[in-house]
Amino acid sequence: MGDSQYSFSLTTFSPSGKLVQIEHALTAVGSGQTSLGIKAANGVVIATEKKLPSILVDETSVRDISSLFFHKSQPFSCLLFRCHFLILFFFLNYLWQVQKIQILTPNIGVVYSGMGPDFRVLVRKSRKQAEQYHRLYKEPIPVTQLVRETAAVMQEFTQSGGVRPFGVSLLVAGYDDKGPQLYQVDPSGSYFSWKASAMGKNVSNAKTFLEKRYTDDMELDDAVHTAILTLKEGFEGQISGKNIEIGIIGADKKFRVLTSAEIDDYLAEVE
Amino acid sequence: MSRGSGGGYDRHITIFSPEGRLFQVEYAFKAVKAAAITSIGVRGKDSVCVVTQKKVPDKLLDQTSVTHLFPITKYLGLLATGMTADARTLVQQARNEAAEFRFRYGYEMPVDVLAKWIADKSQVYTQHAYMRPLGVIALVLGIDEENGPQLYKCDPAGHFYGHKATSAGLKEQEAINFLEKKMKNDPAFSYEETVQTAISALQSVLQEDFKATEIEVGVVRADNRVFRVLSTEEIDEHLTAISERD
Repeated sequence: MGDSQYSFSLTTFSPSGKLVQIEHALTAVGSGQTSLGIKAANGVVIATEKKLPSILVDETSVRDISSLFFHKSQPFSCLLFRCHFLILFFFLNYLWQVQKIQILTPNIGVVYSGMGPDFRVLVRKSRKQAEQYHRLYKEPIPVTQLVRETAAVMQEFTQSGGVRPFGVSLLVAGYDDKGPQLYQVDPSGSYFSWKASAMGKNVSNAKTFLEKRYTDDMELDDAVHTAILTLKEGFEGQISGKNIEIGIIGADKKFRVLTSAEIDDYLAEVE
Repeated sequence: MSRGSGGGYDRHITIFSPEGRLFQVEYAFKAVKAAAITSIGVRGKDSVCVVTQKKVPDKLLDQTSVTHLFPITKYLGLLATGMTADARTLVQQARNEAAEFRFRYGYEMPVDVLAKWIADKSQVYTQHAYMRPLGVIALVLGIDEENGPQLYKCDPAGHFYGHKATSAGLKEQEAINFLEKKMKNDPAFSYEETVQTAISALQSVLQEDFKATEIEVGVVRADNRVFRVLSTEEIDEHLTAISERD
């Protein structure tokens, strides 16, 4: 990684024993748009603000495509049932719409706070890792394994020569044999499993709000409502289906991003 | 290596500053503005038009060689605003990538795929110390088979979005304000309206009337998907239409 001229690490210890580049990366994350995740008893929900820089930006270029994928891949998966992950990988990397919540495997989704371009790199690497696991073991990658491998990539960039750490924190939501899971991965590469977490601009208020509202036996619908209320707390302007994104995964183990119409329905229920 | 506040290196290579910013990327944006050119792109109902200033600094220069508008394939165009040398590198790599795509997959590279590829390449330069970000903002245009006319803007930070209308360069913000007003109610511009909106936006923002030789215009149309640079006569027609309209 990096040219031989830059074979030294740019992230080195300060005299007090801190890795300042990682701290700066966390600052970059802290100035990103708020995102959060909640693990319910029967599923996981992740959500984020989606503030586009101008009204001139084409929203359809920032649109959900996972529904497109599942429709298009049905005939393929019948013929090439073992390869459906490959089709997923191919389609998703070429049909990318500028969407903040991304699908990594059919049962794992991810959202970020921080720098969008860095997120795209991690999504691409994670999808490839999931695909390689599937090719080797002929079964879908467990959530913990995927999180561990993604975190390892992020750690590499804090130690390798000539590169800087990623300026994103990830919230990975998945549902596998061990049930619903939510992980947060930081620029340092450390990750923890969370019942509910938030990142980005409004993190302290959001976390306080979540701590009050969280219950262990929440249902997925309640979790979606709580997620919306938490986003609403720090939201500047009018919240609507067009300026937030929500992704859910339930017991059916299929991760999907809600359409703006569905989000508007949830918003109406919350009012 | 000195640490603490990045030891001043945060301004020289793309590592984080204490505030979590990437100074090299921000300076790349400034380099785009330093080229003192403004470009505008507008997407209509069935066409896309991009317009940029053509400043020929020396009368002895061959005017035909001074261009910022490049065809990437027959159907994809790229308007590069900023440092010309970086623009040529980007265009060369994009042409290569588009040709390989066509060879590998058997169909033409779509606009958004090219835009994403450019953006991903730009992201690599923001994360690896050995290459600086390119001082170019690229406006990519083409007609997509499923989604119709597309206009994408890719910047040195690695961001890319599809736009209904956008601008890049020195008067970027003023142009965007102007275009936001024009596009507020989602108008569906015809080909002539698209071109004239783009040209009149440039004229209004720079507060000067152009001669046909002072601007470059590139278009793609749904009924003729080939990316075309307009000739001086065609530009003249549009300029006359604009002045008659006003």
